[in-house]
Amino acid sequence: MTEKLLELKNVTMKFGGVTALNEVNLHVNKGEIAALIGPNGAGKTTVFNVVTGVYKPTSGEVNFNAQSLIGRKRYQVTKMGIARTFQNIRLFGESTALENVVTGADVHSKSGVVGAIFGTPRSRREEAAAVERGMELLEFMGLKHRAGQLGKNLPYGDQRRLEIARALATNPQLLLLDEPAAGFNPAEKVALAATIRKIRDAGYTVLLIEHDMSLIMDISDRVAVLDFGQKIADDVPKVVQNDPRVIEAYLGAPADAS
Amino acid sequence: MADKKFRYNLRDHAADYWERSPKWRRVSLSISFIAFFYALPFLNNPLINTPGSDFQSVLFYPVGMYVLMAIGLNIVVGKSGLLDLGYVAFFAIGAYTMAILGTHTSLNFWEILPIGIALAMVSGVLLGTPTLRLRGDYLAIVTLGFGEIVRIVAVNIEAIGGPRGIAGIPTPPDLFKAKFTILDPKPYYWVLLTFTLLIIWMVRRMAARRPGRAWDAIRQDDDVAQLMGVNTLKYKVWAFVLGAAVAGAGGVLYASQILSIVPDQFNLNVSILILACVVFGGIGNLWGVILGAALLAFTPERIRFLSQPRILVFGIALVVMMNLRPDGILPKKKREHFDPNWKTVEESGEGEIK
Ligand SMILES: Nc1ncnc2c1ncn2[C@@H]1O[C@H](COP(=O)(O)OP(=O)(O)OP(=O)(O)O)[C@@H](O)[C@H]1O
Ligand SMILES: [Mg+2]
Repeated sequence: MTEKLLELKNVTMKFGGVTALNEVNLHVNKGEIAALIGPNGAGKTTVFNVVTGVYKPTSGEVNFNAQSLIGRKRYQVTKMGIARTFQNIRLFGESTALENVVTGADVHSKSGVVGAIFGTPRSRREEAAAVERGMELLEFMGLKHRAGQLGKNLPYGDQRRLEIARALATNPQLLLLDEPAAGFNPAEKVALAATIRKIRDAGYTVLLIEHDMSLIMDISDRVAVLDFGQKIADDVPKVVQNDPRVIEAYLGAPADAS
Repeated sequence: MADKKFRYNLRDHAADYWERSPKWRRVSLSISFIAFFYALPFLNNPLINTPGSDFQSVLFYPVGMYVLMAIGLNIVVGKSGLLDLGYVAFFAIGAYTMAILGTHTSLNFWEILPIGIALAMVSGVLLGTPTLRLRGDYLAIVTLGFGEIVRIVAVNIEAIGGPRGIAGIPTPPDLFKAKFTILDPKPYYWVLLTFTLLIIWMVRRMAARRPGRAWDAIRQDDDVAQLMGVNTLKYKVWAFVLGAAVAGAGGVLYASQILSIVPDQFNLNVSILILACVVFGGIGNLWGVILGAALLAFTPERIRFLSQPRILVFGIALVVMMNLRPDGILPKKKREHFDPNWKTVEESGEGEIK
């Protein structure tokens, strides 16, 4: 049951003089909801960027299903089964909600330009399947009625949910969510927690960045804490919550108080 | 806001009308539309006549040719958002293929046409694969350079006529009793129109399917497109190659009509003018681009009687137009759709996933 789906080994990521990640070891087990927390600027989003191929780490290993991800193209990482959302929403605003999702679902189509021009049976079949999958996911995220609306015209919460639907459309084994509840009210957060559980129960593995502690404690199986690019804790929520180093990282060093 | 609504109304009404129309009406409308354009050379209307130049010739070049090229460039610039300032290069490659093979071999127009298209496509791949990794400004500069290089190479190779170019390019053989001669531009226009319709059909199919979505994604946010699994380089190269194919086909046909070509015909101005057609019509909107190209190519001919000042008049008209409609005559604007079957689900988490 504790099969490692994603594993970062001694990953360091430097941007000029800034060390965003410093010798980070991190893993996500298959089938769990793992959380990544830490103060602002701790390096959480950088972990996502390193995993999805946005940045190539300065040193260290990133393995997915025991295969190295380093040096792979971003679209290949997605094809291998990792999809993500963005902290600052990055939808295709000029495309409809359905088109946004179907763009993700297209990953699994084999036909391309030639198939589209000649309307080959495979192209038609794959188009229909991608659209059906897209509709299914919109419905799952409660966005079916938004299908024909442009991404930029959706209300804020729906935009966040649409990002999750679009990521799911690529059929990932691992779903990376970067602060999916940012800007949500308590009721929306509860609904989102239920949705994330449902996603896990459907067989997906989730790695979640979040600032809302109660949400984290509620749904995650394991919590890793980053502070100034270093991992300072990694355990079940209860233990992490009471870890003095974590409390210190969030509240500031006791020395600061004096 | 009210102003905005008014602006887009006509197009939205037209699109609504089209979407609500039953199949028979769409088919008959399309057929009459197409028939109208095939009959256009015979239309002797003082409104659209071109005093000072032969109307039938004008229909072939510049009007038809610009429309074709603008549709091709729109795949690159409009659909995928890649700024190509050297588009004329592919037109030149098509034209030179026709000129060289036409004068040195016994191949006729119809045999040379696929070769010209293929050569344009191959040069699209060769230019695109290394350069399409570049972004925005860099790509524009590299393509601009490519356009000039092709022309300069042609000027400097004596074997293909150097600066004097190539004369005596053969006309296409007769087709369905239509004779292709320098004196009668109609058959050329009909062939060009047929190409154009074919390409419109292809572009529309692609736009509604996976390539269209990939291009939309790339144009809007290249990074996110990649992260959503789009092989962006592949689709950019495709856009480039398809654009090149269209220009290549145009070049072959053009050379077979004009009978002699010189390198200086394929200068930067042509690239810029085609780009102007795309921008003027409405980047990314197929119908806008067609209308824009037709107007930009036709107007200077229509006002030829003004002789020299016509370029000034034309320029002023352009500036005024672009101020009134900065996004083009028919801007690209996705319409939103509502389907009553998409029932409202108030809360998140309805439905199931597999
Ligand atoms: N592309 C980049 N170039 C330079 N510095 C960067 C870059 N990306 C991240 N950083 C730096 O790395 C550090 C970690 O940033 P990161 O975005 O990973 O933080 P985070 O934990 O996601 O914070 P937040 O909670 O604010 O989202 C910050 O100091 C940031 O300024
Ligand atoms: Mg972040």
